[in-house]
Amino acid sequence: MFKELDPILHSQLRLAIMSLLISVKEAEFTFIKEKTNATAGNLSVQVQKLKEAGYIDVTKEFKDNYPNTTCHITQQGIKAFEEYVKALQEYLKVGQSR
Amino acid sequence: MEDNEPQFTPEESLHLIESMINKVKDRFNEDGHLYLFWGWLIFFSSIGEFILYNYVHYEKHYLVWSLTWVALVYQVFYLVKKHKKARVRTYTGHLIGYVWLAYVILCFLIGYLNGRIMGDRYFYHIFPTVLALYGMPLFLTGVIIRFKPLVLGAFSCWLLSIAAAFLPYEYQMLCLSVAMIFGWIIPGYMLRAKYKRQLN
Repeated sequence: MFKELDPILHSQLRLAIMSLLISVKEAEFTFIKEKTNATAGNLSVQVQKLKEAGYIDVTKEFKDNYPNTTCHITQQGIKAFEEYVKALQEYLKVGQSR
Repeated sequence: MEDNEPQFTPEESLHLIESMINKVKDRFNEDGHLYLFWGWLIFFSSIGEFILYNYVHYEKHYLVWSLTWVALVYQVFYLVKKHKKARVRTYTGHLIGYVWLAYVILCFLIGYLNGRIMGDRYFYHIFPTVLALYGMPLFLTGVIIRFKPLVLGAFSCWLLSIAAAFLPYEYQMLCLSVAMIFGWIIPGYMLRAKYKRQLN
């Protein structure tokens, strides 16, 4: 029986955000936007969904008088990401053996 | 990049994860500025002390090192500014920060302990000790960011620390100048070149 892929992570933009954040300590919203080529609006929505799932932490502060958003992955997010990758590997193994 | 594609296969997922990780994996955030700044500063200071001590016979030859206090203040401002400007913070950057913090603490501690234990004769031992110490942050940073010139620079500092221990005091400071060339200045220019290549 296949493990169901985590619907929070099985979305292109949310997965891209998580893949970036798993590799760094923390990243600013503008950096994530640049690397994912997403629009600010869409990115905001997906960041919010990841935050609500407890996968990332979002800090809002002022930097040089402008609002600045910083994101970092949580322990729960790391665990979910690892499980997602494991599930993907299972799917791929079955695909190859067919 | 859009959300909620109807056909998002496991292969595409893995490909996306790999490509995003690669985007940050090889990100090189070291432009060599502080290596060059300190390298040239210590290089000229040690040459300056060598001249003051051996040729001018100035009693307070060690005063050239007062410049390092000014340099430290500059470094603090520079690092605060760089920290504020950074849009992403990596684990390697975080780790390297602690390596250099440990190094600065050790520098002060060894300076103090040398004076406390050796009294007036502390300066006879200061150059070999400092050179041995210089190798530590260079070696660790070089290993962490996988940059061989820094590792080689570290070994040159360690070899020069042994050489300095066999030299009379008046020539020991020249070992420091040579160490700056191999440990700080050459790797500094190479780091700068690598950083600029990444930007282009």
